[in-house]
Amino acid sequence: MSDTELLVLMLVVGGITFLYRYAMIGLFAHRELPHWLARLCQFVAPASFAALIASTLFVTGHDVHVDMSSPKLWAACVAGLVAWKTGNVLATIATGMVILYALKWLLSANLF
Amino acid sequence: MASRSREFLTGCRDELPLQFGCIPFGLLYGIAAINAGISPWLAQLGSAIVFAGASQLVIVQMLTAGAAALPIGTTSSVINLRHLLYSASVAPYVRHLSRPWRLLLAYLLTDEAYAVAILRYQKSAVNAPASTDEPTDPPPSQDFRHWYFLGCGFTLWFFWQLSSAIGIFFGATIPPEWDIDFAVPLTFIALLALLMRQQGAATTAVVAGLAALAFASLPYKLGLVVAIMLGLFAGVWASKKTQATNRE
Repeated sequence: MSDTELLVLMLVVGGITFLYRYAMIGLFAHRELPHWLARLCQFVAPASFAALIASTLFVTGHDVHVDMSSPKLWAACVAGLVAWKTGNVLATIATGMVILYALKWLLSANLF
Repeated sequence: MASRSREFLTGCRDELPLQFGCIPFGLLYGIAAINAGISPWLAQLGSAIVFAGASQLVIVQMLTAGAAALPIGTTSSVINLRHLLYSASVAPYVRHLSRPWRLLLAYLLTDEAYAVAILRYQKSAVNAPASTDEPTDPPPSQDFRHWYFLGCGFTLWFFWQLSSAIGIFFGATIPPEWDIDFAVPLTFIALLALLMRQQGAATTAVVAGLAALAFASLPYKLGLVVAIMLGLFAGVWASKKTQATNRE
């Protein structure tokens, strides 16, 4: 993607994001947020994160590919466990990265 | 005037602790953006134009995965829909302000600024005289709480730009073998786990995750957009179903 295309993309995303933020205090300042829309908003984050995680871990190009020997897959699983148990974002990232480095080091040292 | 500047500075101070959480993501965004091949000036401009962490990380992540502009734009915009909830939530407190004020506060309405500013609004409503049952807000002429909101928003904006810049600056010196960009999906995993306590979120996540695999063959990563939509409908359906069961 060229710089110009990416700039346009950012302007569009930034513009839409600004409209969300301005909507209820500016555009529709004297209206209530419809109930169904409020409900939909609550599920946007879990839906997006789950789709992105699944795609990052299991999709290469256009193919679904489950590689049980991938260090990233195991690092992500352990990180998921830490996230679930602690609810701490930075601890999750730190654990995931440490496991990834450890597994890659073990693989490169040919211990398996 | 004193209470304007006092509100502003208190807002700045109260927002500071949240920077421990924000700065690592700014750094990560900067590094990942450079690794994804984005020009430094454009990466920095992105932090000012979009000014939404998760959304910027999604753009970088999907660019790396070779997605096209349409799915990147859709996914990274849809993820910010939650800001509509924040907008609705602060609306009663900022409705009376002038248009320039509302435009400025809307631009600064991020997760972290919202979280701190809304507490200030709700707390001052609770501290109202005990004689009234309904929480009362100060009269508009003595209400300077939007300066507090501005202090929160400005502080977050400043540290977000600064940490993005530092990440961009060092991005080129960090070797790709360090896999720093793997911290992006790890961030998503952590955020997803935090959201799991919400009713219907598990159904949403499972459906969206499986659909992302089922539609992986769609061109330009459009499968992600389809997966998010299906996840949304599944979540709404699941929460309706639980409500119906609770009513019985």
